[in-house]
Amino acid sequence: MSDSMHEQLKQSEGQVPPEDTQSAETAPPAYGPHARRNAAVIIIVVVAVAAMLIGGQYLVHRGERSGAVTAGGPKPGATAPDFALQSLNGNTVHLADFRGKAVLLNFWATWCEPCKLEMPWFVELEKQYGPQGLQVVGVAMDDSGKDTVAKFAKDMGVNYPVLLGKESVGDEYGGLEYLPTSFYIDRDGKVVARVFGLRSRSDIEDWVKEALSHGSNAAGN
Amino acid sequence: MLALLFSPLALAQGAGPSVEMAPAGITPVMRGKPGSVELDFRVKQGFHINSNHPNSPYLIPTILKLDPPTDIAVGAVDYPAGRNLSFAFAPDEKLNVYSGDFAVRVTVHPLHTVIPGKYNVRGQLRYQACDDRACYPPRNLPLHFEVQVKKAAARAHTRHSRQSPHIHN
Repeated sequence: MSDSMHEQLKQSEGQVPPEDTQSAETAPPAYGPHARRNAAVIIIVVVAVAAMLIGGQYLVHRGERSGAVTAGGPKPGATAPDFALQSLNGNTVHLADFRGKAVLLNFWATWCEPCKLEMPWFVELEKQYGPQGLQVVGVAMDDSGKDTVAKFAKDMGVNYPVLLGKESVGDEYGGLEYLPTSFYIDRDGKVVARVFGLRSRSDIEDWVKEALSHGSNAAGN
Repeated sequence: MLALLFSPLALAQGAGPSVEMAPAGITPVMRGKPGSVELDFRVKQGFHINSNHPNSPYLIPTILKLDPPTDIAVGAVDYPAGRNLSFAFAPDEKLNVYSGDFAVRVTVHPLHTVIPGKYNVRGQLRYQACDDRACYPPRNLPLHFEVQVKKAAARAHTRHSRQSPHIHN
């Protein structure tokens, strides 16, 4: 909030600024220059509030259309939060285990139909870019249990590690209001892109290439 | 004032899917007899939720859970049939969903021992919503409706057709 806005709010809430301090006897009548100034202040505050409300609704509209504005999580350039999660074969896996590789970290669930569409693409990308250092990691944000997740992953022909998600990890990655949500992480563990909702295969491949090209161990560095 | 100033943030955070229930009013039911209550729901435009019988065991069905007061039994819950629709994210699949308005019918049965009066039935609708490119974690919509339990009408006296109108039973 700007200083002037703060000042205006103070005035509108009945706090009298020092220059306006007067005794009751000398207080100005409810008309004249002081009244005009108060009216102007009220109008400014009302206009400012209206502008903020309209701005908020614009953000909502934009967020609904793009699916990418209202969600949080680590932003591009930030270090991806490390985690320790169980894999389907019972091992504990840390994100840091993949340092030196570009990671496509995909949060999904068995009840998420759009997530299913991406999985064969991830399988292909893992095959195509794995030799260059790509590691796809799936995190299932499911309450349905390990066996259900394992069966689903097998049915989908998943060839990359699938981990069993936890709410605490979801919180660190912005709460995961939408699924699928994917984070593209470079070889140094920094987020290159975060993507909420389903995107095209070509978009996904572009982000994979970007993640592979960043970081101290990137090809060509 | 601060609430107003923060409202853009609140609005931005509230952009997800929602299901609302229309006010149910007060449904009269007779003591000792089953009655039917219709609950009307609306899914926010642009979203769909799974029906009570989705076409895949992995999908989370819409389920109404009720917690009635003592002496008011809840019987069958009748869900509407969903619509089989295809979406861009699964063009070869038909998903059985609710979108727009749908109604769920609940049978309530006040026991014959219940004291006549107004009773509040609480519960929740569990649903899982998606739009055309993302799905949202399951949510619970808290809800309630009221029933007015009345005494069953006293049985009317029947008179034999051949009985004299001057003779009263």
